[in-house]
Amino acid sequence: MTTSNETVRDRIDRARLELSPPQILAVVALTAALGFALLFLQEPLAHDSMHNFRHAAGITCH
Amino acid sequence: MIARYLERGVAAGTIAGLAYGAFMGLVGNPLVAYMEAAAHHDHGHEHASAVAETTTTIVSIGSGVLWGILLGGLFGLAYYFLEPSLPGAGTARAYVLAGAGFLSVSVAPWLLLPPATPGAQQALDTGTRLLVYAALMAVGALVSAAAVLAYRSVAARGRLVAAVAAVAPIVILGVAASLAAPTATANDALARELVAAFRGVVVLSQAALWLLVAGCFGWLHRRGGSDSTTARDRTSASNA
Repeated sequence: MTTSNETVRDRIDRARLELSPPQILAVVALTAALGFALLFLQEPLAHDSMHNFRHAAGITCH
Repeated sequence: MIARYLERGVAAGTIAGLAYGAFMGLVGNPLVAYMEAAAHHDHGHEHASAVAETTTTIVSIGSGVLWGILLGGLFGLAYYFLEPSLPGAGTARAYVLAGAGFLSVSVAPWLLLPPATPGAQQALDTGTRLLVYAALMAVGALVSAAAVLAYRSVAARGRLVAAVAAVAPIVILGVAASLAAPTATANDALARELVAAFRGVVVLSQAALWLLVAGCFGWLHRRGGSDSTTARDRTSASNA
């Protein structure tokens, strides 16, 4: 494997070189938005629409 | 390079998510609907939903697909950063990471907040449960990290010893969780066997989702080559 002499630190440095701050921000924001909507959003319309999914995925619910 | 890992993660997550969405449509939706009806029948009160049943059915399937995509994307990113430190060779590492993900996202929270059956009465209010759930995800991630570190620290003594060392933090988590006050949910409206079967379906389906993400990711990773930024990129650039 090409990874044998690489470390986690190298990967972080490499990602810093490859990505611009707006790109990092976009990925973080999208992930957070999707995660929040699926896991934590309790607004009744959203919550009741995803009700079966949350039960079936074992995500905490109402 | 990180973009390729993210791409593969999202692609693997889409495949797994579509399978999970199909599972939601074929098993999840009817099962939850059946249990809801059974619980309300015995309980004698109807729970008014803010949306139509069809909406719940469709949005739940869609959420299942999105859930796979979210997990796959996070998996790809985590794999990029953690690949050098994960034990195992080649794409076996993907399964190690998927196990860690399953432990963090699902198993650790379930130790105190087992998958809630439809119609069950919860002992804690929603806000508290969300906090506990998020905190347990962090605990699960720490335990996964401890398991990997334990494995690596004794890896020289052989695989079996290392595997035992890796299991130790997970066992400690399980014991600690069983000693902590269990979060009581009153399921008296439903038969014990039905609740157990429901939880079994939830646990197995989430495990299968992670397995599928890891399997598809490993497959895409092997096809694409693990370090494709240099050689392959140059080839495709010169061909263009």
